[in-house]
Amino acid sequence: MDVTSRQDTGTPPAAPKAARTGRLTSASALAGHFASRYSVIAIWVAMIAVYAAAEPGVFLTKGTFQTIFGSQQALVFLTMALLCTVCVGEFVDLSVPAVFGFSATILPVLVVEHGWGVWPAAFVAVLGAIVVGVVNGLLVVVVGVNTIVVTLGMGTLLGGIALWLSHLNTVSGLPTGFGKIALYSVGGLPISFYYGAALVAGFAYLLACTPLGRHIRFVGANREVSRLSGIRVDRIRFGSFVASGALCGVGAVISVAALGGYNPTTSDTLLLPVFASVFLGTAIVLPGRFNPIGTFIGIYFLATGILGLQLLGLEAWVSSVFYGGVLVAAVTISTLLRRRGP
Amino acid sequence: MKEAHTVSPDSRTGPPDTAPRHRLEVAELSKAFGSTRALRGVHLRIAPGELHGLVGQNGCGKSTLVKILTGVYAPDPGASIAVDGQRLALPVRPMHQRAAGVSVVHQNSGLVDDLTVWENVRLGHYRAGRLSRRINRRDEQRATEQVLARLDRPLEVGRKVGQLSAEDRAVVAIARAVQDHRPGGGLIVFDESTRALGRSARIRFFELVRSLVDEGTSVLLISHQLEEVVEATDRVTVLRDGTVVEAGLRTSEVDEVSLTRMMLGRHLVTHGRVGSQVKDEVVASARGLAAGPVTGLDLDIRRGEILGLTGLIGSGFVEAAEALAGARPADAGTLSVHGRDLALDRRRGCTEEFVDAGVAFVPERRLEAGVAGELSVADNLTLPRVRDRGGRLRTGSAWQAEETAAMIAKLDIRPPHPQAPVHTLSGGNQQKVLLGKWLAGAPNLLVLHEPTQAVDVGARHDIVDAIREAARDGCGIVLASIDPVDLAVLCDRVLVFRDGRVAKELSGELEQDAIVQAVFGDDTRPQEEGQND
Repeated sequence: MDVTSRQDTGTPPAAPKAARTGRLTSASALAGHFASRYSVIAIWVAMIAVYAAAEPGVFLTKGTFQTIFGSQQALVFLTMALLCTVCVGEFVDLSVPAVFGFSATILPVLVVEHGWGVWPAAFVAVLGAIVVGVVNGLLVVVVGVNTIVVTLGMGTLLGGIALWLSHLNTVSGLPTGFGKIALYSVGGLPISFYYGAALVAGFAYLLACTPLGRHIRFVGANREVSRLSGIRVDRIRFGSFVASGALCGVGAVISVAALGGYNPTTSDTLLLPVFASVFLGTAIVLPGRFNPIGTFIGIYFLATGILGLQLLGLEAWVSSVFYGGVLVAAVTISTLLRRRGP
Repeated sequence: MKEAHTVSPDSRTGPPDTAPRHRLEVAELSKAFGSTRALRGVHLRIAPGELHGLVGQNGCGKSTLVKILTGVYAPDPGASIAVDGQRLALPVRPMHQRAAGVSVVHQNSGLVDDLTVWENVRLGHYRAGRLSRRINRRDEQRATEQVLARLDRPLEVGRKVGQLSAEDRAVVAIARAVQDHRPGGGLIVFDESTRALGRSARIRFFELVRSLVDEGTSVLLISHQLEEVVEATDRVTVLRDGTVVEAGLRTSEVDEVSLTRMMLGRHLVTHGRVGSQVKDEVVASARGLAAGPVTGLDLDIRRGEILGLTGLIGSGFVEAAEALAGARPADAGTLSVHGRDLALDRRRGCTEEFVDAGVAFVPERRLEAGVAGELSVADNLTLPRVRDRGGRLRTGSAWQAEETAAMIAKLDIRPPHPQAPVHTLSGGNQQKVLLGKWLAGAPNLLVLHEPTQAVDVGARHDIVDAIREAARDGCGIVLASIDPVDLAVLCDRVLVFRDGRVAKELSGELEQDAIVQAVFGDDTRPQEEGQND
């Protein structure tokens, strides 16, 4: 009886039609599906081929490989820090590079100028970043201030403090033994590369396979649905700011260890690469969705592109053009991917 | 106001197929969003000098129709929209719409509180000086005063709109709508714009509208308040599931009850009632619940009982249901579910304790509050239980696959793909996902708000069956709805709310007409002094 009543009402046409078009277009849909997931990786391979052809003997070397994969650790930590808040729907945390710079300045200043041991100093540096995350979280989640305004102000404030602490100079002179925690070579790459890879893998696992990750994705997708499903939305949002601060702090300690010091004026240059990588990541692996593995691939895609251009003899302005261009393109693509469907 | 009917549209409408005689003629208007068809071959004809009502349930396509008239959406090919016999290019461009004399007053009147009366009225019409590009304040104010004088409702044009009464704000909105019309021409669409008006303000509002109509202006009144549609309009068109079920029905021939029946399409429902499954044990009881207009409400819900809450919009039955589920922080009250006490007046609005106590809530706005459209069917179905059934480090895939498959089969969710994003499903199937998300957890108390709204008949059948089965399994169910069909078919008991109080309790063999009478009927209608400006 209910079968006939359904056919009477004219509702089913939608269903068979969808099924039919689904079958007809399945081949092209599959191709589109594949293209939307892996096209960036294909472009990456093509880019490497072009550079290899244009720069025979220079680009396809172990040195190039080591430069690309050994130099992006700060960016890996910063993008994961940004992903923490982006995944729960806080769209733009502009303070990430400044929190990183703040921690990266505290550590050498305490060691070099105040004679602290590196480990207590590293602890304070990370703690400082966490405190900033707590303050950001309080202002955004509890008080309800606009994220962009809070983090823009916080970023500028911390940048200023870092410059003040360092007297506008590069602070260097950390004990060389400390550098080992970042530079110890494993299979030709510094160990800090593996820290970053492990962090990305852990983050991806958290999002995909744990209850907390499921909750995070729902909070990012729809706060009201999450609240009504018994998820503590505000706690997750607050936690994401704290976690973001902690990742900035840890990333800073590792970067400072690798560099032996820090120049706080360089913090600002990280902002664009961080955003470009995170948004480029939405076009990789899980289309239209912020995801750690896509971001990780995006970072090395960008590093490859820039290094290749630099080897071709182009100068420092290249990175601005490249990162800026990719950010605009990536945001456009991710908006289009999200818009598919009704 | 009834005397308005003496100005019958008959003399002007003439035979229905002489096109130029219609102020607005919409034909073969369809609109599909993905696989959902919001409008199907809609025809609408409005005569000059006619007050035409448009009614239908939420999701029947009324707002889509308005959005096509204002050019927000492009209609599907084949449609035609003509004003005074002249076809408009589709999609409608705002300039053409205005030139044709069609103006729309939106739900919240579309006024900017911080601006003055003249700034609001002239918004979008400012004439700047030729060289200075300055707005000539004096001229704009004079133009505003002229429009208000034409309406015979003088207002101080320099006052901020935010300081005006609801009635005067409506006047400002109307002034903005009619300023381009030559007297006796044009069409004004009121899209739920009388909601904020109190009773006496509403009477004055319709006096003003009627005077415009008597001059020859046409009005399309879109409203949920069937009472005002019946009192004020000349003819009415009824939309249901995107199609016109009654076109241009003479209003003198209908009442609220018959309109409700047309909106809901009772004849399509094939369900009979089934015997009551109420058991003696009380599963949930609320004491001293206060939320919105509701104060001091006590409720007891038994195992297997389906308790209906209904009333007019604003009567408080929605607030009561939402507070019971923990979805809306109540002003006061406690809920005891299966021996567990919960405070209803929590400020942070966190529902974790309610979910843990087995309270489930199916909200009305399914894509805003019920399911996350961009995430998959499986993720949405299992969401409330991943914390408890999963380990800390693993959500666990076996129970999720099992539960998802069980719910897809039980509710006949189509297409049966666990990984499909929910927004790709039709409205009825989205609703099934939302219901299944809670049913899979075998709740103690299930609160439903319009569970069959904007759902096709087949899905409605599955949903009604699933609700009954939950009651048979011992769940206490609260059904908040304005749909007398759902209430009559499902409920063991119905509480009819009015002004925040339970005005009537119906039980036993429930008749749809009895429910509609109790909601709209004279015995519960408030006195004339009940105004709230």
